[in-house]
Amino acid sequence: MVSARRFWLRLQTLFRRERAAERLDDEVQFHLEQQIAENIAAGMTREEACHAAMRAFGNSSLLKEETRDAWGWTWLEQFASDLRYGLRTLRKSPGFTTIVVLTLAFGIGTNTAIFSMVNALLLHPYRFHNLDSLVLLFENRGIDEGPDARRISPGDLSDLRASSRLFEDIATYQYRDFNFSSEGRVDVAQGCRVSANFFSVLGAAPAQGHLFSANEEQPGSDQSVIVSNRFWQSRLASDPQFLGKSIRLNGRNYTVAGIMPPDFNYPVSMELWVPLALTPAEKSDRARLSLFALGRLKPSLSIAQTNAALNNLSRRLSELYPKTNAGRALHLLQLRKELYIYSLPLFLLLQAAALFVLLLACANLANLLFARMIARQRELAVRSALGANRTRLARLLVSEMSLLAILGGAVAIAASYSSVSILRNSISPAWTKWVPGWDGIRVDSTVLFSTILLSLLLGLVFGLAAALHLRHINLNTVLKETGRGSAGPARGRLRNGLVSAQVALALVLLVCAGLTTQGFNRLAQAYQGFQPDQVLKFEVSLPENAYPDDAKRNNFFQTALRGVSSLPGVSGAALTSNLPASNVDNEKTLFTIQDRPALQASEAPAADFQTISGDYFSVLKIPLIAGRFFTESDNATAARGAIISRTMANRFWPGSDPLGQRFKLGAADSAEPWMTVVGVVGDARQNWWNPATFPVIYQPYLQSSRSWFRFVLRAASNPTGYASAAHAAISQVDPEIPITELNTLETEVQDSIAIVHIMGVLMAIFGSVALLLSSIGVYGILSENVAQRTHEFGIRFALGANPRDVLRLVFRHAVTVSGVGLAIGLPISFAVSRAMAAFVFGIVSVSLPTLGVVPTENSIALKNRDQHAIGEKFLDLAKALAAVPRVVREMPHRLLEAEDHQACRVYVERMPDCSRRSSFVAVVQPTDLRQHHNWSHFQRLNWSWLGRILPQREMRSRSVIVGKIVAQ
Amino acid sequence: MGKPNDLVQGTLDLLILKTLSLESKHGWAIAKRIQQISGEVLQVQQGSLYPALHRLEQKAWIKAKWKETETGRQAKFYSLTGAGRAQLEKEAQNWSRLSAAINLVVETT
Repeated sequence: MVSARRFWLRLQTLFRRERAAERLDDEVQFHLEQQIAENIAAGMTREEACHAAMRAFGNSSLLKEETRDAWGWTWLEQFASDLRYGLRTLRKSPGFTTIVVLTLAFGIGTNTAIFSMVNALLLHPYRFHNLDSLVLLFENRGIDEGPDARRISPGDLSDLRASSRLFEDIATYQYRDFNFSSEGRVDVAQGCRVSANFFSVLGAAPAQGHLFSANEEQPGSDQSVIVSNRFWQSRLASDPQFLGKSIRLNGRNYTVAGIMPPDFNYPVSMELWVPLALTPAEKSDRARLSLFALGRLKPSLSIAQTNAALNNLSRRLSELYPKTNAGRALHLLQLRKELYIYSLPLFLLLQAAALFVLLLACANLANLLFARMIARQRELAVRSALGANRTRLARLLVSEMSLLAILGGAVAIAASYSSVSILRNSISPAWTKWVPGWDGIRVDSTVLFSTILLSLLLGLVFGLAAALHLRHINLNTVLKETGRGSAGPARGRLRNGLVSAQVALALVLLVCAGLTTQGFNRLAQAYQGFQPDQVLKFEVSLPENAYPDDAKRNNFFQTALRGVSSLPGVSGAALTSNLPASNVDNEKTLFTIQDRPALQASEAPAADFQTISGDYFSVLKIPLIAGRFFTESDNATAARGAIISRTMANRFWPGSDPLGQRFKLGAADSAEPWMTVVGVVGDARQNWWNPATFPVIYQPYLQSSRSWFRFVLRAASNPTGYASAAHAAISQVDPEIPITELNTLETEVQDSIAIVHIMGVLMAIFGSVALLLSSIGVYGILSENVAQRTHEFGIRFALGANPRDVLRLVFRHAVTVSGVGLAIGLPISFAVSRAMAAFVFGIVSVSLPTLGVVPTENSIALKNRDQHAIGEKFLDLAKALAAVPRVVREMPHRLLEAEDHQACRVYVERMPDCSRRSSFVAVVQPTDLRQHHNWSHFQRLNWSWLGRILPQREMRSRSVIVGKIVAQ
Repeated sequence: MGKPNDLVQGTLDLLILKTLSLESKHGWAIAKRIQQISGEVLQVQQGSLYPALHRLEQKAWIKAKWKETETGRQAKFYSLTGAGRAQLEKEAQNWSRLSAAINLVVETT
């Protein structure tokens, strides 16, 4: 009860403070009046009565303060008054406030934008329950061949499920393209065949409808389909009565059982999920790695333990089934890590760049705040004299800085809403649908929270730094001195050091930006081996029921190809199973070379496998190295031929001619027919993140029949104009067959590395911002320096220095500061560029000597850096030039306005480097020469006369001693 | 007598609570009463009452109300709460224990 009452009272004193203060005044007033009345009644006069009453009462203002302390919440009151004072001072100096807030906003804003990307793509790519316990299960023979090759064989999987209870559950899936026919139109949709527990393993459920049941995994009973939200909106026209409806996929009827929520995105960009119905023969197959498997770890087992158990199982399997499983090992890869392999280095780079920009902004701010602190020394000294202790002053400074930081953070957040959405929309959805989590890039609560935290942290850091600086101010001296204060040599060094650090940081950032942009450009050109310009591509897929056998399929494609290549303006057309630079991995196959020792399935070499038509290489301008291309005569009745890539020729027939050699697909005991090598062609890279080139086997399409192909045609002019003609050519053969994925090859290639371009652009932005910020910093310190030395310059002018000498002085300072910065920055940027080469794909590793000296192609890198550095220097000197005219305008008579009797003392103390060997000037009254109390100080220093004493008439009543201290 | 000593300031709470235990008073009346009853020995600096009064009010041992005096002026009258009475008991016991102990020490030497 009592504590409740106390709490209520404390709240009251918080909210009704003004009223309570007035009441206190009334109370005290009443008391005094009573006492005065008593005194008067005792016989004193009114005046005596008043005085006696006041004396008896005591110091009323002190007592009122003590009473107010008893109310509590004084810290809050002080904090509020600090904030109000801070707002007032900020309003009074709008220029300073604007610059500080903008600098802060920029530094914080870049970090917000990058962090929103990191948050969406790295931390929450999938919104699954407990993402960290989901793992991919796959097997390979030691070499990880990329995401499409991370598969497991069904036989091994059932052993894994049965024997060791390692996982809570395992789900499996296979990719499948579906021809979706409705109302006469046929479209292609990408989908998966999934096990019944697929969605429950992921922890997702349909937004409407229900999951598959276990008995739908029997072949023949798999009649339902779950669709994605996007499919429902675009193809089913958001039909609210769709549940239970029947749609036709690949010639079969499926019932729509459910629809997934809009943010479900696994596997990426899939639209349909049907039950995975394997025949018993398929289920026990161990040879082909045909399934993708996803497992949920048991919470009681760690990854290391699970790995060890998997290794045991692999060993047992390879003993039990040596023909298929020898050398095969089971692996697991955390789902999150699967994404990290490609994206983590890039985002780390971006985040580091953003942090650099923040550091630069902070360095600028530190300089600005230093200058401001010096200007405020007086005010702080007065406050301290009135009774504020160091803590109180520190609190004042911290609250002011926090106010500025919050303002900066607010501006940053406001700007980041638009900048983040610009970032998100900068890449076309055709590609971002492949990036899990991309749609989630927004300023959500996590990003907001971290931004606010960052702003508060910055405010705290700067406030505390300013408060620490208080220690160095001798408040006595400050109060006594008139005019401006000086920072002293130590502070000057610190500020110069800050600017040098800025220059170094900016240099590093510029170098990184330059290298990155250049590297990314080289990446774009790295799709060497083919020329995508003026090529149109599209995809055609044949449904199973209309084209059930090879003959019909071959016939269709042959006719279609003939039709397309005979279009006017088309110089060549071809078929292919996969395009280079498509970011889609090829199918892989084992193969066995004739007359070589027979290898088991577990040891046979593997190669990429593509099916093409004869003109493929000439359309894409991939060079022929030996032998010949395919022709129409390489059909089903002719001898089996194959073309191999250069990598394959070099790897498997090193030094000898592969033409005429024979090999077959599959292991030594496979029933595939032997093929003869008829040609060798150049390599073309398949995706941008995998720099290795794989051996590729090309087969003619008439000998290796497929139900879908990609068409490529090279046009004489703008390829998009041929779209309708291509449509017409295909419909002429069969009007029911649609064309999908129509695009120019060049656009596809550009889009496929869009993310890399974006990064290059961002890095370039960061680099230029860095340059801007550091130029501002250098300008700031230079003009500050010039302002401080105005007095000195005035004397120099008085003594006859011409403006060029003074300019030289200022230049020397500017060059020293930036020179030190460059000297520190260059080695750091060397180191950083080497580290980056290891990180970012495509930046060919540059070695130190080539970077430095040898004019190889890497001299481009050096030139860039040089240009940047020189550019930076020019900017600095330009800033210095801008600062100097102010000096030239200052008239020498400013010197003579100073307090003359103190002129001598002023000069010994004010010269920034008078403790070193340098020239300085002292002006003394001739009459006071010996009586001046600082003369002894002069005498103590070692003088050497430089020369000229100006004639009396020039200096009126003064004599001028110009000397140089040689030693102290 | 002379200046108020620290002992008096330390027991100011006790004095105030006791003074208020009979009837509610305003600040000046409390000061006069303490002076009166103690036979002018305890000259408490009048102003130091007010921080003490407000502190006791924050601790909910006394409560305050603005009322009219006999002369028609508005004044803030303090009165004891139930918790205040308990506190008064406690402090009075403490005081008698303390003073008894000090007496013992002083008289038995």
